[in-house]
Amino acid sequence: MGGLNTALLIGVGGLDAAQGALDATSNNIANVNTPGYTREEAQLNELPQSDSAGQITGGGVSLEGLQSIRDELLSMQIQQQTSLQSAADTESASLQQAQTYFSSTGTDVASALSKFSSSLAELSGNSSNSAVQQGVLAAGQNLASAFNTTSSGLTSVQTAANQQIPDTVSQINSLSQQIAQLNGQLAQVPAGENGGTVEDQLDQAVQQLAGLTNISVTQTNNGETITTGSGTPLVEGDQSYNLQTSTGTSGQLEVLDSNGNNITSSITGGSLGGALNIANQVIPGLMSQLNTLASQFATAFNSAQTAGTDSNGNTGAAFFSGTSNLSDAAADMSVGLTSASQIAISSSGTSGGNGNVANLSAALTSALPSGESAADGYASIVFNVGTAASNASTQSTAIGDNLTQLTTQQGAVSAVNIDEETANLMRYQTAYEAASRIVSTVQVLDNAALNMGSGTSF
Amino acid sequence: MRIDPNFVPEMLANLQQSQVSLDTALEQVSTGLSVNEPSDNPTNAAAMVQNTIATGDLDVYTQNVSTALSTVQTASSVLSSVVTSLTSAVSAGTEGANGTNSATDLAALANEVEGILTSVVTAANTSVSGTYIFGGTGTTTPYTADSSSPTGYTYNGTSDTNSVAIGDQTSVQINLPGSQIFSNSSNNVLGALSSLVTALKGGNSSDIQTATASVDSALNYVGQQQVFYGNAETQLNSQETFLEQDKVTLSTQENTLIGVNESTAATDLSQAETDNSAALAAVAKVLPTSLLNYLAPPS
Repeated sequence: MGGLNTALLIGVGGLDAAQGALDATSNNIANVNTPGYTREEAQLNELPQSDSAGQITGGGVSLEGLQSIRDELLSMQIQQQTSLQSAADTESASLQQAQTYFSSTGTDVASALSKFSSSLAELSGNSSNSAVQQGVLAAGQNLASAFNTTSSGLTSVQTAANQQIPDTVSQINSLSQQIAQLNGQLAQVPAGENGGTVEDQLDQAVQQLAGLTNISVTQTNNGETITTGSGTPLVEGDQSYNLQTSTGTSGQLEVLDSNGNNITSSITGGSLGGALNIANQVIPGLMSQLNTLASQFATAFNSAQTAGTDSNGNTGAAFFSGTSNLSDAAADMSVGLTSASQIAISSSGTSGGNGNVANLSAALTSALPSGESAADGYASIVFNVGTAASNASTQSTAIGDNLTQLTTQQGAVSAVNIDEETANLMRYQTAYEAASRIVSTVQVLDNAALNMGSGTSF
Repeated sequence: MRIDPNFVPEMLANLQQSQVSLDTALEQVSTGLSVNEPSDNPTNAAAMVQNTIATGDLDVYTQNVSTALSTVQTASSVLSSVVTSLTSAVSAGTEGANGTNSATDLAALANEVEGILTSVVTAANTSVSGTYIFGGTGTTTPYTADSSSPTGYTYNGTSDTNSVAIGDQTSVQINLPGSQIFSNSSNNVLGALSSLVTALKGGNSSDIQTATASVDSALNYVGQQQVFYGNAETQLNSQETFLEQDKVTLSTQENTLIGVNESTAATDLSQAETDNSAALAAVAKVLPTSLLNYLAPPS
């Protein structure tokens, strides 16, 4: 049968339990705004009852420890969505920048084509006026420089993405090392016990890593194994593997794993995936369309020009130059004529007529070898860059909504609720006070028992 | 079920979204455009490339039409005066051929026709803003006196013509070369007038009659050539009307592609403003509240 000591032990256990719970509560309140903090709960267990000569007595409470409340599945989903959003954000930012070169600013290719076209129409009505001829030459130079500006604008976006790649890779490496270290620390925590702070830090680091590249996380006995791309290990236990960058044969940046294998194509997520996509796919695609347009248009216009006779009575010389190298056509396009009198206005073999102006104008409106006219070809590029920018931003918004939803769910599981903690504070305060009352009551009872049959009191 | 106590990030995200809507509405109202960059509407932004070019060309085409009209109208009125002159020459020839004229009369008539010849040559050398309208594509004075030529004049122009662009793929021929109108091999206006002068000076009635007949035939021929200018004028006038309509069409298209409906934009803006202030007010009201606000401080 239990004695007063049993009651005292149960009371002391209650004090310990309330104390632990108050610790958890105060830690939760203190960390209410700490990023990555996961709320803790005191794990209280009912102790086994004791059966003494048929009399069953409760065993009191024991504090098993503090447990961080987390949902690994949600964390994983958040990591995946973070990778996707980060890639979309990176692409969206670059494309927003790229598309300004295709907006109607008055210096864009569309405006320049328009001015060039109308200068030729004016030449048709006033072919002998040297100011009008000069206007055509100036509009041609304006068009060439619009191509130059657009091309260098795209190049600057690509360069910015290219600069971002090695920076991101070194951030990935440093995070991998940090995670490996945390994995090592987590391995010291006995199985079944709460990793607490270390696990919070680990989650936080993995979350950051997910923003940089697409990762896949597997829980193992040694902590978390993290791979990127199609299985390239970044972290295994307390071991991390560094990625590196190198320049490929055609000048594009490549990402290599620790063994030197090219894994560029499998990096699709995170800001690294976004930057790689911009630098190696999107901008080169737009650039190639722009170069093709510049080159084919210059060729078509030059052939109309060389079919005519200029104001000096000579066969027309090439109007545009610098477009012979397709990969630099838009960047190097310039006007080859040095004087407005070299514009091949006449088609009759002698100067004076304006028969060739119609052919020059036709070079603007007829289909180029690409199957589209210069204006339609340029419109296609505008459409492509606009669609890409709009898709990236729509995608980012959509994933952002999803991510907000997931974060809310995670918050519902893991975040500190001040109201809840305040209520707990009062609850555990009461419990502590009550448990102390048990101890003081037992003390009074002990005294009473010791004083039985004695004149003096202790 | 436990709910997420940390509503600050979501609230900030909502505030940001409401701010974005407000910015978009403000941009649309202030620029009057719904497509400010290609991503706002890639299809319409692409369609605007063609519209920009067409709009730019339109003004020049309109200008070309008015320049061409003035050239064609000048040419037409010059030819009318040539027709009048030739009619006088025919009268002079007919008078000279009636056999009742004295040598003095015939000399006077020859003088008159010579004067007519000079005025026709002057007409054939007409220039509009530096361009000889009957010189083909040549840039020198079309007709100059040449004693070695049977007509007394030689043609320095070309037999080519110039066309002016007045629309996409549409152009109009604005001149006929002088060699076709005035010194054509079958109906040579200058030749017929020269022959008449010679015949009148010679005084042979039958020669005068023959020469008068060829001036008469040249007169008819010039009359036929006038039709070309009449047709060109008609074409230019109808093109002018078309271009005016096209201007309206293009500007309507531009408005449809990238413009905003002002009343919609204004409504959107006021809606966005209301939403934004509601969101801000909600955040301000919710943020400071927790259970702690209602608890008495520990005694």
